[in-house]
Amino acid sequence: MKKIAVLVSLLVILGAVGAACAEEPVRIGVYLPLTGQNAFGGQLECDGILMAYDEKPEVLGRKIEVIVVDNKSDKVEAANAVVRLIEKEKVHAILGTYGSSLAMAGGEVAEKAGIPVLGTSCTNPLVTQGKKYYFRACYIDPLQGSAAAKFAMDVLGAKQAAVLKDVAQDYCVGLAAYFKRAFEAAGGEVVADLNYQSGDQDFTAQLTTIISKKPGVLFIPSYFAEGAIIIKQARELGGTFHIMGADAMDNPDMITIGGKDIEGFVYSTFPYAPDMPDMSPMAKTFTENWKVKFPDKDPNANSAIGYDSYMLLVDAIERAGSTDPEAITEALAKTMNWEGVTGSTTINETHDAVKPVGFKMVKDGKQVYVGAVIPEM
Amino acid sequence: MSAERKKLLSVAALSLMALFLWWAQGHLDGYKIQILNLVAINIILALSLNLIYGFTGLFSLGHAGFMAVGAYVSSLLILPAAQKETIFLLEPLVWPLSVLQAPFFVAVLAGGVAAALFGLLISLPVLRLGGDYLGIATLGFAEIVRVVANNLPGITNGALGLKGIPHYANIWWNYGWCLFTLYFIVRIVNSNFGNVLKAIRDDETAARAMGIDVLRCKVISFALGAFFAGVGGALLASLLTTIDPKMFLFLLTFNVLMIVVAGGLGSISGTVIAGVVITVLLEWLRFVENPIDFGPIHIPGIPGMRMVIFSLALLFIILFRREGIMGMREITWDGLACACRRGGKDRG
Repeated sequence: MKKIAVLVSLLVILGAVGAACAEEPVRIGVYLPLTGQNAFGGQLECDGILMAYDEKPEVLGRKIEVIVVDNKSDKVEAANAVVRLIEKEKVHAILGTYGSSLAMAGGEVAEKAGIPVLGTSCTNPLVTQGKKYYFRACYIDPLQGSAAAKFAMDVLGAKQAAVLKDVAQDYCVGLAAYFKRAFEAAGGEVVADLNYQSGDQDFTAQLTTIISKKPGVLFIPSYFAEGAIIIKQARELGGTFHIMGADAMDNPDMITIGGKDIEGFVYSTFPYAPDMPDMSPMAKTFTENWKVKFPDKDPNANSAIGYDSYMLLVDAIERAGSTDPEAITEALAKTMNWEGVTGSTTINETHDAVKPVGFKMVKDGKQVYVGAVIPEM
Repeated sequence: MSAERKKLLSVAALSLMALFLWWAQGHLDGYKIQILNLVAINIILALSLNLIYGFTGLFSLGHAGFMAVGAYVSSLLILPAAQKETIFLLEPLVWPLSVLQAPFFVAVLAGGVAAALFGLLISLPVLRLGGDYLGIATLGFAEIVRVVANNLPGITNGALGLKGIPHYANIWWNYGWCLFTLYFIVRIVNSNFGNVLKAIRDDETAARAMGIDVLRCKVISFALGAFFAGVGGALLASLLTTIDPKMFLFLLTFNVLMIVVAGGLGSISGTVIAGVVITVLLEWLRFVENPIDFGPIHIPGIPGMRMVIFSLALLFIILFRREGIMGMREITWDGLACACRRGGKDRG
């Protein structure tokens, strides 16, 4: 009997020691729009993040725990989600989100609590403005806008441009403004700047005006649903100018909706494509793993940026050598030439990722990678 | 029960509430305080809609519009000048607004007044309509406000929205305004004017036959509701510290409407209870979206599950308790005392 008692107490002591040794996991919170109007992008990014987590579930010899919270594409919910992650789940760092207005609501909370956040695809410059703890793995709208302007001038040889933008989307408004600025600064002329609202189906009035102004290029920083229709209608009305778009149109559905009319459409995006030549090793692994995990869908820029944000954050935690939020923040700020799926990333002093902007073109019903431009800001 | 005693009880309840808030501020984490704040704002919004819809019988879906007006007006008044310069990237803020500054209380008040003015403006033509038509017209108004906000980058910063709004809306401001709204609306509803409103709701023709100036009363009720909606919007903007036109979609109105209907049309206590329950429930139900383990059974987290459960709960309310939690009843000191006595007798 005594022996058993000794054994039991030994076991209890062992158990207690074991529990003390097993260090608590590193907790990474994720807040993304998994439902609501931005669910499409949020889910793709979530897939990318979770795939990266499967590949790298440990850092500093400790397990990583990923806590995903839906922000319902809603500002109030986004703020609540971040408060919850910080106060209830006690996360060390946060990833997210798709949609800049959501990031602005969440960022304010994280800033007060002093928890570092790495944004996935919130491209509005206001997101990180004046923030100590908010970073992003994507480039900002001004960068992409000026890259598009450079491409339009140098590669397409356009001297006159027209802009057609969605006034209800901060993404479109920002991108259009910076394209215009960069195009005019480079000596070009913007002959038309017209608007529409999200959800519009008929663009013939704007397009007729634009066609009459005879621009060399039409820049449409739209989302893919409207973008594809604009291109179709422009071609049906007889517009022969080049049409350029941006990363929100990096979507296989563009070709399904646009059909033949979309031939020759050029758009800027992250410098990643599943079929690009001389891919970096990281991009190669990503493509292969993605095809194993999701055989029925192609990887796109959103999933790649989700994957990259996770990897970049884990890398920063490793460089920081601890899970102290201040140390992670410092490490994130010092990111230099970090090699990811979407190209070499440097975080600049405004906490935005500086990376090359890739360009793709639709050729014979396929999205073909054309090359990358490193814009001057 | 004597009026003296009721007053005493009210004061006691108020001090209990204040004590609770004071304790909450010191002891609860930021997450719970955020929810407490949202509870107060949702109650303000729901009370104002209840005044319009529940007590006056005007089916209005324009709440998001009034909130937007209140939020923009007050935010532009409290944004620091330096912040205004940096966030207006597309076009600089137009002149008088770029230098105007006001203390928080004045800004919220201005937001409410601006919303009330809009309420007056649209109520004159729109209130000649009734029932569903009024709902459609006010919904149109809310959409117009949103579209205009998108297209005036010189005032609202367009789709980029405003950010860096000072976070003045703490627990005391929110509950202070909430209490003021509650007091004000209770006083209105219990006054003779409140009886007039209820008469209009119950039978407009009869009310007119009694010599009531129906349109005038409707307009006043509508403008008052709009005022408090504007106040709620202003507080919400300061709580979130950022606003943009996309925030004021129809869904926002729907959230408020849900509280009013679930609580009971024409019941102030019902609105307060539903405001608390629904706001807390929306957050608390998040756990159903996390992966759950029942022993060997593993259920992966499904985003959106929360809203499914929520919709089911609403369905049940509508199916089995169409009049909402409270119907048209109110919780009063008399009622409570009565319930206590009955409870005492049962025990005895």
